[in-house]
Formats: sequence, C-alpha cells, structure tokens
Amino acid sequence: MSQATPAILELKQVGKVYQSRGSLLGGRGREVVALKELSISLNRGEIFGLVGESGSGKTTCGRLIVGLERPDSGDILLEGESIIGLKGGAWRRYRRKVQMIFQDPYQSLNPQLTILDSVIEPLVTNRIGRPEERPALVLEALKAAGLSPPEEFAPRFPHQLSGGQRQRVAIARAMVQKPSLVVADEPTSMLDASYSAQIFEILLEMREQRGTGILFITHSLAAARYLCDRIGVIYRGRLMELGPAGEVIGNPGHPYTQALLDATPKFGSTGEIPRYGTLLAVPRPGEPPRQGCPFFPRCRLGREDLCAAGFPEWSSLSPGHQVACHRWKEIAAAA
Amino acid sequence: MALLTVKDLSIGYQTPRGLLKAVEKVNFSLEAGQSLGLVGESGCGKTTIGMALMGLLPENGRVSGGSILLEGRDLVTTPEDEMRKIRWSQVAMIFQAAMNALNPVQRVCDQMAEAILVHRPEVGRREAMERVAELFDLVDLDRARMRDYPHQYSGGMKQRAIIAMALANQPRLIIADEPTTALDVVVQDQILEEIKRLQGKLNLGIIFISHDISIVEQMCHFIGVMYAGQLVESGTAREVFERPMHPYTQALIDSFPTLTGDKRLNPIPGEPPDLVGEIPGCRFCDRCPKPESSCRLEPPAWQEITPTHHVLCDHCEDY
Repeated sequence: MSQATPAILELKQVGKVYQSRGSLLGGRGREVVALKELSISLNRGEIFGLVGESGSGKTTCGRLIVGLERPDSGDILLEGESIIGLKGGAWRRYRRKVQMIFQDPYQSLNPQLTILDSVIEPLVTNRIGRPEERPALVLEALKAAGLSPPEEFAPRFPHQLSGGQRQRVAIARAMVQKPSLVVADEPTSMLDASYSAQIFEILLEMREQRGTGILFITHSLAAARYLCDRIGVIYRGRLMELGPAGEVIGNPGHPYTQALLDATPKFGSTGEIPRYGTLLAVPRPGEPPRQGCPFFPRCRLGREDLCAAGFPEWSSLSPGHQVACHRWKEIAAAA
Repeated sequence: MALLTVKDLSIGYQTPRGLLKAVEKVNFSLEAGQSLGLVGESGCGKTTIGMALMGLLPENGRVSGGSILLEGRDLVTTPEDEMRKIRWSQVAMIFQAAMNALNPVQRVCDQMAEAILVHRPEVGRREAMERVAELFDLVDLDRARMRDYPHQYSGGMKQRAIIAMALANQPRLIIADEPTTALDVVVQDQILEEIKRLQGKLNLGIIFISHDISIVEQMCHFIGVMYAGQLVESGTAREVFERPMHPYTQALIDSFPTLTGDKRLNPIPGEPPDLVGEIPGCRFCDRCPKPESSCRLEPPAWQEITPTHHVLCDHCEDY
C-alpha cells in the first residue's frame, strides 16, 4: 500500500480491554480498559517516547505492537499493511520485523543458555542466514550492542554478567534479526544511571546507523526528552498529549503532563522550570467518569460540566503539538 | 556530639574466592535533622554500610575495622542482645523494595502494633493501637484503612506504611535504601515530600542511599559519592553537584539525562573493579578519563577543597 508515507508503524483507534476474573471470595470479574481509541504513528528512523505511569497502558501498547497480544478494536499497520488477522508465514515475518526489549534484564535471558546460544536462537528459529554464517552474525550483534570483544562474552552464561551487560545481550538478540522497529519497554529502569547511559547510546546508534525505528516506553520524562524525537503522554489508556520532545517538555499543554513535570526531579536543569500545580492533593471521590476525561478526578483544572461529560477533542497548540484537554486554550494562554 | 559518626569503617565479605573488601575506610558524620545521601553504582558498598549501621550484615559479612558511633555508642562492639534493643528503636531502616516486606496475611495495623509491642511489651495492645493510629496520621494514611491487608494498598500507600513502621518506635536515625524504587514519579514525589516533612517534624537524621543522583540532590544536605567500596568525594549537595571534583562524580553527572540538557550523554565505559584481592592504586583509574602514571601504583590521598568538601584524588581538576 502506501510507500509514500514515512510512517512505518501506525496505530489507528486501537482498543484493548482485559477481563479480570472474579475472585475466590466472591468479587465479580471487572472489565479493565487498558487502551481506548489510541492513535499513534511512528516514522522511519524515529525514536518515539511513550510516557506514562504504571497502569497507563503503555506496556500493553508495546505488547500489541510486538504481537504478544491482539487488539480488541482498531488497526495496527506495519509499513502500510494491517497486521490484524495475519497468520502463519506472514505473521512470522511480521514478528521478525518488530522486536522487543523488556524491562527486567534478570528475567529475559534463559539462564541455561550461553550468550551465543541465546542470541543465535532467533536466527535458527526463523531460518535467518546459513548455519555457518550465524555465529558471525551473533558476534557482530554483540559488538554493536557494546559487548566488546564479543568473543569473550559469547561463551559466558547470564549469571556471569551484570544487569547492564544482560540488557545489552537482550538488545543484541533483538538486533540480530535486523528489525525495522524495536519496542524498548523501560529498558533502563532496573539499571543504575551509568548503565542507563550506555543503553541510551546503543539505542541512538541503532537509529543512526541502521535507521531502526524505536518505540521507547518509559515513566521518565528526562530519559524521554534525551532520547526521543517525539513524545506521547498516556494516562489510563488514553493519549493526552503528543508532540516534539522539546515542545512537550518545554511547553506542556496538558495538566497531566504538567503534573509529571512537577514531580520530576529538576537535577541539572538550567533555567527556570515553572511549577504548574495541576495535581489535586486529594483526588475527587468516586469512580472516574465513564465517558469523560480519565484525569478529571485528579485534575485541579477539571470542571464537572465539561470534563466528566465527554473525552476532549484533539487541539493543535502548534504544528505537530497536540493536546486532548477541554480547557487547553486557557492553559495555553496562561503559559 | 554528632548523632552519627562513622570512622575509618571497613567491611568485608567472606566469599569462596576470598575476602571481598566491600567497604574501605569510610568516614562521615551526621547531625540530627540532617540528611546524607550515599550515592554510587550497585556494588559500591552503600547498602553494605546501611546494613552495618543496623547491625544486619549477613553471615559472611564482618566489620573489619573502624567504628560506628550512634550518639557516642560504638555499634561495632555492641553485642547482639543489646543491638536488638537499639535496632528499630534508635535506628530504623527502609529497605529496598520494602513494599514486599509487609506480611500479606496480617492486617497492616496488626503488623505495626507488633513492631511497637516487640520493643515495648509493657505498652499493651490498646495503647499500641492508639500509637498506630497516630502513625497513620503522621504519614498521611487514612485511619479508615488501618484494618486493611497490604494487597488492598497501592504501591504508594504500602511505602507510607513501611515508613510508618520504621518510625513506630521514634528512632533518631533512619536509613532509607532506595525508598522510591518501583514507584511512579508522581508517587515518588509525594513520598519524598513526606520523608522531608517528617524529618523536619521529628528532627530525624537520615542516610539516603540511592544510585539516582537527582533524588539525593533534592533530598540531602550532604552527599557522599561512593565507588568500589570507597568514599571518593564528600561535601554539601551544592558543592558536590555544582563543583564536582572527582572524575567519577563528574562522569556520573555527565551520564545523567536532564529535563533541559541538550548535550550528548557520556556513558562511563567499563565496569567497577573486582573487590577480591589487592588494588594498589586508585580504584577508578581503569575508567578514569585522565589517569596519571602514578594512579595505578599509589593510592590517592584525601584532599580538602573546602572545610566541608573533600575528594579522594591526587590529580583532580575543576569540572
């Protein structure tokens, strides 16, 4: 289909609902809306940051893109082709093009396999390259992931490596298949700051040298600002703000983005970062409104008549910078 | 007299490969109402120091030198039956990932009451429960939630409960080891504010252990930067972060993303040294951007930059 668009990945009005089962002691099962009407597009060679708290749906979004789960509504397109309903060989080809790096470096590697075997496994399973070529591909991937000299790391087992090194093996395993898109779900939140920086560097090189698109899922605005071209802010399954990273951080249009900024430590920041004070100290009592804005119960600027009544439309603050907030004009004017 | 004085503290672990020198000749002191941030990578010894302050080193860990003076009393030479009275009543700890430390099959109020009664059995259950209610107020937990079980609490609420338990017997010193790991940034901010508020109200001394320099900068009056078991720089938060002198401190700051920065981050290459066996010279020289020839052979000396700002380096330059 569309070769003209630079978007390699598009999510169109994607929805995902989980049914939680009833508990043994009699509580009834509940429907949990993990994602609702989520629309995002990722351009070729772009690093896109999906920022939100736990429970925001950001991990669910990553899992849907990678194919670990299927959406309940909406469409997901890779390079213009829908992945919904793909089966067999076509599905396997899709799964190769989109790889994931998980948060926990201590759980993502099989402790009984050497590093070489862990990284060669996807090549074998997906029949990539000729058998005699594969070890060289593994060494190349390990080197690209910063594990040098790769021959020293290949025969080791995961327990012999640090968390940061294990995460790099996970990256090598993702990269050895030469994917078009990598979903990195909080890849550094379990690592020390100094190792995080190493991982960021590898991700940047991945994009610079191979043009790989990266969906970077995080709760850290500082990391998102550093790595990402664009940022999408997600709250309770809904996208609230979207725009260039510098814009979203420097000129946030949504009260929730502002609340995240207020809560982020300002270490090393130059200049004044204003305090927005948009989070209510005590949330409004009762369930969040079914039809309205999910942030209303915690939002200082929330108005029952507007915000509880319906989800806001998307408005443009500036080219490429959009926000979903009923009171966006007043917020922008006050800035 | 300072609340806490740690002098030339060295701690080692017996491992199958030999003695692992986890902490080497660390010195610092703390007054009531002040907080010290111990910052460094995993394995630098900061948690080991925290455990030693609580007298909770594991079986194979031992203080091999120095002293820990809590209000003048040396905890290193204090026998265990005495330590049991001091632990949780004079010094308390908030452990890493403490949210999993709550007993899942016991109501939160009962766990807190137990923490009080264990130290002061004469108090009696009724008074202990009154104290629990006061503790709930103290940490901004709703009294109506007292009889809940831990799984009914959110992550932030569990952390407040852990903090309340640490404060149950009115300790003078709190050791907070990564108290906000696994918490979202909004909840983290609330918990940190809470800790600050409680410190002011109760005049607590706090040792804040973290690898996250943005948090310790926000929370602490003084900073101790640790690397491979040694304190490599110490000073006020302002001194250490605005004028870092040790190459490791500088490298740490350079590898941290900020909300406004545009520079490319410089990750510190390599890994910390193996702490089993002798390291004759500076422990950082393999990863140091500007090592001199003498660094590998001779251990660096503790230099004074200002009366409060010190650095373990013979060749340091301004940032």
